[in-house]
Amino acid sequence: MMGKLKLGVFELTDCGGCALNVLFLYEKFFDLLEFYEIGEFHMASNLHEKDHYDVALVTGTVSTHRDLKVLREARNRSNYLIALGTCATHGNVQGSIEMPIREKLKAVYGDEGNPMRAIDSKPVVEHVAVDLAIPGCPYNKEELYQALMDMAKGIDPVRPDYPVCVECKLNEYECVLVKKGLPCLGPITLGGCNAICIKSGLGCIGCRGPLPGEVNPASEYEILKSKGYDDEYIVRKFKTFARWEP
Amino acid sequence: MIIELREFTRVEGNGKAEIVIENGEVKDVRLKIVEGPRFFELLTLGRHYYDVPDLEARICAICYLAHSVASVMGIERAFGVEVPGEIQLLRELGLIGELLESHALHLYLLVAPDVFRYPDAIRMATKHGELVKEGIALKAFGNRLRELIGGREIHGINVKPGGFGRYPTTEELERIERESEVLLRFAKRTVRLFASLEPYGERAGHFLATDGYLWGERLIAEGKEPFHYTERIEEHSLVYSFAKQSRYNGEPFLVGALARLLLKGEQLTPEAKRLFEEHREKLETGYVSYNNLAQAIELVYALERAGEIAKTLLDKGISSENVSVEPKEGEGIGYVEAPRGVLVHHYRIDSSGKIAYSNIITPTAMNHAMIEKSLLREAKVLYGNVDEMEMVQRLEETVRAFDPCISCSVHIVKL
Repeated sequence: MMGKLKLGVFELTDCGGCALNVLFLYEKFFDLLEFYEIGEFHMASNLHEKDHYDVALVTGTVSTHRDLKVLREARNRSNYLIALGTCATHGNVQGSIEMPIREKLKAVYGDEGNPMRAIDSKPVVEHVAVDLAIPGCPYNKEELYQALMDMAKGIDPVRPDYPVCVECKLNEYECVLVKKGLPCLGPITLGGCNAICIKSGLGCIGCRGPLPGEVNPASEYEILKSKGYDDEYIVRKFKTFARWEP
Repeated sequence: MIIELREFTRVEGNGKAEIVIENGEVKDVRLKIVEGPRFFELLTLGRHYYDVPDLEARICAICYLAHSVASVMGIERAFGVEVPGEIQLLRELGLIGELLESHALHLYLLVAPDVFRYPDAIRMATKHGELVKEGIALKAFGNRLRELIGGREIHGINVKPGGFGRYPTTEELERIERESEVLLRFAKRTVRLFASLEPYGERAGHFLATDGYLWGERLIAEGKEPFHYTERIEEHSLVYSFAKQSRYNGEPFLVGALARLLLKGEQLTPEAKRLFEEHREKLETGYVSYNNLAQAIELVYALERAGEIAKTLLDKGISSENVSVEPKEGEGIGYVEAPRGVLVHHYRIDSSGKIAYSNIITPTAMNHAMIEKSLLREAKVLYGNVDEMEMVQRLEETVRAFDPCISCSVHIVKL
């Protein structure tokens, strides 16, 4: 067998969940270690190899100059970079506050001003080219596992290309949008989460971002309006995770 | 001269520290939270209350449920809604899952490598595989509870004002009762391990907690007279950190497992209480490193309590009924014990159900000043006596004892 692939995990500004989710693979994490050697993963290890990586996982948004530096290094030092989680792929909730950064800082830290340099939160994909984007808040860890296993075997990972509704139907869940009138973004959101929120009888909040290609937000907009939701509510809902323009 | 420690590893989020040396002596320490600011309260302003707990969950992955529950409680109090015992027990079960998941992550995967001198749990597993596996089993069980109550391991949306989207089934509760019993011996072993270690860091002078074990109506400190956070806690911005600092009556203070045991030890379950009494003398010295031992005792508490809750619910049967929630103008504060300590969600809501004011104070922001105090003491002890590598390692251990949650800490604001 060939030598192990070298893996680095890089965390920018986020909730820590996407890095943590790698550890939540439990025994499968040890299966991954049959094929990968971890050189850097600051949440889990104090190793800092500053090495070249076959695969880099980058989580979070770019919100500071420190983040930008870490991201550029990760890109320069790796062959295959995966933007992992909705912060990295779409900017997520922290990227949804539409206010100039200086005003945001003033609102939070007061008038004395905070000399630390912050920049407007943007997803990783807006700063560097990525080889694979796995969205989700958090992403489905099975999807990451499969992608890493595929790469270890030289196979290009398969990307889901269907909406959440497909998985909802396959699980035979009741349609919460039609039957209960709950705000559900399932019809226009990229599947791959196994319709986890609808499993709880609640609406999809759109955390995996828009289905690429053919998607019809205008029709979703009309449906939500017909269920009694006002324009402001719908627009906010659309913009929260992935900056959808209705 | 300033010695800059590189970013901490084996902690959640991005932070580092600077040690200021003048005339060959340690003069000051600054804990620098370099994680970018996340502006969560701005995110909630003007939003409909129904969506807010799901968004607040995104503040942190390790303690998302504490954020959801604190948010839901703040909203319910603003509307004057009271939920029945069944819903409260289920929320408690979720928070217990979070305590297990978070403490197990911290003790077995982040701290244990220090005890056995490995860079991480992965390398430690070659010699101490059993310990790592036991930690993972506890963590996985905690996460299953979070998934059951919260709807997902991370960032679930099942906890709602007035109840839940989905309620657990009888079979699911039976499994919890069984498994919590089986895992108990792992936790007891870990209590012995952490009780055997020498203390380090500073001794905390003030402790703070909620008045109930995992949540409360108010906060308590020494003396135990309940108060609202606005009466005794002050927050201020720092020029070198994206996290603010809190002080209790102007002094640094400690929240978290150690504070809970010292202030609420009498509320523990039988075996946890016995272990607390056994180690009480040590814990009462107040060394912040005993937070690790306190967390290990809380693992025992959490497993016993999970079994008790499952049994109570199975005996009574679950009605799975939500309480109806009607928005009205009001103000409410949710006080929850996140695994790392007191978490405050404070809202004012307008008559249409939209958030008009929001304030969140997280445990790590509360501990911030205490972490600095502890680092300062440790740096004074170590500087000049050990080489820089050793000093950096030991200072990191001091920070790690607080189990800081940096992602949580970077968005503190009053609006």
